[in-house]
Amino acid sequence: MALSTIMRAAFGYLFLVLIVRVIGRRPGEQLTPFEFVLIFYIGGLTLTGVVGAEASLTNAVCQILTVALCHYGLVLLRLRSDRVMRLLDGSPLILLEKGGWRSETMYRMQIQDTDVMNVARDHGIRDLASIRLAVLETYGQINVMPQEPETGN
Amino acid sequence: MAEPSVSPVDDTVPKVDELAVGEDLVFQQRWWRFERFIWGVFLVVIMCDIAGLLGHGWLADAKASTPDGSLAIDYERIERGSSPSTMTLHFGPTAIHHGNVPVFVSDSVIRELGAQRISPQPAVSAIGSGGVTYLFSAIGGPADVQFQLEPNVPGLHQFRISVPGEPAIEARVLVLP
Repeated sequence: MALSTIMRAAFGYLFLVLIVRVIGRRPGEQLTPFEFVLIFYIGGLTLTGVVGAEASLTNAVCQILTVALCHYGLVLLRLRSDRVMRLLDGSPLILLEKGGWRSETMYRMQIQDTDVMNVARDHGIRDLASIRLAVLETYGQINVMPQEPETGN
Repeated sequence: MAEPSVSPVDDTVPKVDELAVGEDLVFQQRWWRFERFIWGVFLVVIMCDIAGLLGHGWLADAKASTPDGSLAIDYERIERGSSPSTMTLHFGPTAIHHGNVPVFVSDSVIRELGAQRISPQPAVSAIGSGGVTYLFSAIGGPADVQFQLEPNVPGLHQFRISVPGEPAIEARVLVLP
């Protein structure tokens, strides 16, 4: 039935959005090999259930259009509602502030001090004590701000 | 030339240490609680799957039989759409008359439960009375017939199977999408 293939495509998309959101963001600008495996494997498994025995080009086109519409709808909702934006993207999270770690955030987001230091080195920062603020962005990247140099008279 | 529309910049992103970060820790703590709950839900779904509550497992397997023992069936009370399964009909000696076993199968087995193949092939099949009556050649009991099913209509479906003249078996099958 045409309706069931459309509903399967929409369900598959929304289910994947939920799964990817729950699996969570991890630090790093590029996908790790583990994340490659996860994304391709989950995508492949979803495909078998969403497409089923309907291997026609018509079905493929209609399901792609359904996913495109669902995505456009989510983007519109995200744009118009702060709550939806928070739900889809999460919130930027402070990892290090005023010389102290946010230990609960670090634990829940499974981030270690070495992850922050990796990024800090990219910015020419020598040690953790020289970081003023470290933030885990909603897209998974860690940004660090160095301590401002003390101005002597 | 059209003028680009410009609106003033408001400092709407909350600041931390004079830096506009926009952290919402209250929301994030609620999300972490939701994540813990949803991981629990995932675990329950997998346990249900292993146990057979989502079909193809121990809790999905069902048996039904007539009081006189002429017919018994093994089937799955929970099926998965577009996924093959087997329904086995066991005939007792009292179901065999003059070297034949007649069996009535309601339309729902053919249509909603998607009967694909019958093994062995019936010698005769006749339609009517809301189903199909098959006639199998048999030399003695017990005897088995298998229906290969592949349901394609999600929902709760009732079916009826009987040896004409004997009590019928009526049962329901839940087909998951």
